[in-house]
Amino acid sequence: MKKRMIMILVFVLVLALSLMSMAGCDRREGSESVDNGDKLIIGGAMSVTGIQGSLDSPAMEGVELAIAEVNAAGGIDGKMLEFRNMDSKSDSATAAEVAKQLVDQGAVAIITSSDYDFGGPAARAAQEAGIVGISPSASSPLFGSEMLGDKQFTLSMWNTTMGAVMAEKAYGDGMRTAYVVTDDFIDYTKSLSRYFVECFEKLGGEVLLEDVFSQGRLDTAALIAHYKALPEVPDFIYISSYMPDLGTLIKEMRTAGIDSPIYGGDAYDDPALFELLGEDFGNDIYWDSHSFNSEEAVPGFNEYYAAYKEMYGRDVDAPWSMAGYDVVMVLSEAMKEVGTDGAKMAKYMEDNSFECMTGTLDWSDAASGHEPNKAAAIMKLVDGKSVFLGWATPEYLPEP
Amino acid sequence: MSANIFIEFVINVLSMGSLYALIALGLVFVYGICNLVNFAYGEFITVSAYVLYFVGTFTDLPWWLVFLIAIGSGALTGFLSELIAFRPFRGRSLDALLVTSFAVSIILQRSFQLGISPRSRAVPVPDFFNINVSLLGVVTPLRNMLLIGTTIILLIAVLILMRRTSLGIAMRGASENFVTARLMGVPANLVISIAFVISGILAGVVAIFWSARTGSVEPMMGSGPLLIGFISVVIGGMQSLVGAVVGGYVYAFIANMLSLTLPSSLLSFRDAIMFVIVIAFLVLKPEGLIRGKYQEERVG
Repeated sequence: MKKRMIMILVFVLVLALSLMSMAGCDRREGSESVDNGDKLIIGGAMSVTGIQGSLDSPAMEGVELAIAEVNAAGGIDGKMLEFRNMDSKSDSATAAEVAKQLVDQGAVAIITSSDYDFGGPAARAAQEAGIVGISPSASSPLFGSEMLGDKQFTLSMWNTTMGAVMAEKAYGDGMRTAYVVTDDFIDYTKSLSRYFVECFEKLGGEVLLEDVFSQGRLDTAALIAHYKALPEVPDFIYISSYMPDLGTLIKEMRTAGIDSPIYGGDAYDDPALFELLGEDFGNDIYWDSHSFNSEEAVPGFNEYYAAYKEMYGRDVDAPWSMAGYDVVMVLSEAMKEVGTDGAKMAKYMEDNSFECMTGTLDWSDAASGHEPNKAAAIMKLVDGKSVFLGWATPEYLPEP
Repeated sequence: MSANIFIEFVINVLSMGSLYALIALGLVFVYGICNLVNFAYGEFITVSAYVLYFVGTFTDLPWWLVFLIAIGSGALTGFLSELIAFRPFRGRSLDALLVTSFAVSIILQRSFQLGISPRSRAVPVPDFFNINVSLLGVVTPLRNMLLIGTTIILLIAVLILMRRTSLGIAMRGASENFVTARLMGVPANLVISIAFVISGILAGVVAIFWSARTGSVEPMMGSGPLLIGFISVVIGGMQSLVGAVVGGYVYAFIANMLSLTLPSSLLSFRDAIMFVIVIAFLVLKPEGLIRGKYQEERVG
């Protein structure tokens, strides 16, 4: 009997731990028309755990910071905002499920994961409930009104912009031949390479070889062998992948003596990557992303930094947090102007442009996909430290 | 195949194979004694990798001491998990033990995610790990050579332990027939504890070389080596330590061979092909390349 008790105890423990990860989860019964009194619930279907957690957790910090700021300024028409996140666990089925639960709890909008594959299902649930769903930095062009519905947005530029900006940057740097490595993990990694290659070839560049690998099954030896077997040394390497394999691949390539410049997208914007590469390998790497931690790049950053530091007691590390902050600011502005009706909020978001920490943002209407018109911040790595080079919008934008 | 590519291939197989052999050995040590497929083994590796990260980043201790502490933490994790989680279920059904190992794995993973961070952390490694050395005209990181050397030393140590010490003889006895060994006076608790500790030590060594390659640690990192360990033991044989080592090298050979010969477009199917080979082994040669002496079901 005693052993059975212990076994039950272990199961309870596991269950408890799994539930703990659904931070702030207090599911309520009676889902029809929940009256939340004097507060407005912003639902979060973001990932605390799993591979997407590394992008969502900084964004969530930005969300909470913005919520605190909006509330300190009196909330929305006297109602306080409450952010309620349920861990979507980097799993699409869970994302849909938690979004539905949040809708049941009376959420007026849903903030999804920063990715189409992981965040899209939550946006669909928001669409079904007739409320706005928005992702802080999902950049796949699939994340828009065409695939998800007329009340769904991403605050991020699309990969069309992200790929095109880096193609123009590389070509402008005198690069003519490329070795492209694509992680076939999610639509983000695949479509980013696709748009990059399209733009680079349109400019007159040549892709010597396109290699593919799968996140979690990285075979650096094979990729390095393919690189070395190329008919000529390429001017640069374009890698579209995700942490942690992204870091391993760059480090292994550098260790193997491959010192060609490396270009990539916003997945590079991770302090863990800079630290991993360090002074030895952290050079000659370029990427574009959503923002940069400096007043020079982002007017108002110093104020943001001070507020962030006061709330969390540490420096801003990943710029992803600013995207989370922006999401709440955009939602609050819409709610202040037109109330919490999903259709009205979506219309307001389509019709206006927003000055964000991640740059000026202007969405197209629902018929053209809620395409975000936004600039990309370009960075490079010098001795393991990221350096801001400037904002850019591409001259040629590929069709999504 | 040019000479350089061949030498590079051999070095890759030997270094990767060494790592895989160590991973597989850690799994088989526990399986051999308790008949338990320990799904928490990957998390033993993750614990050591996190210790490497914390001690290496936040203290100024010399690298060898950091390594020793990391290996020690692996051993401690092995010891404690056996004491707290597995011992209460010993003698019950194997399913209970299996489920327990899942539970330990999930508890540890979730603890890393919630207690540390879901984001990856850069693990500092001593500079000499990344120095390139030239061997017969092929440039390779020094850590590959260190890995091969370390594995040889560890394998010899395990060999001496198992062949020359009374503890080793007791363990071999226990792994061949646990009930009889107990009747002969082999202390069950001690033998099983030691098996978990050795498994933990191997996990610690694996953590050093695995994170030196990837450069980072994150909560789910254990699943990669765990899968490799399983495949290696399926190929080599679940019942024998030699089989685990052979399995590790064979796996590395097949994986590298596929990497070298598959065209880019098929490269992402490499693992699918590996799994087909594993299934073939399970169907055609379920006992693996090396047969253990006793194949019957044991009761722990």
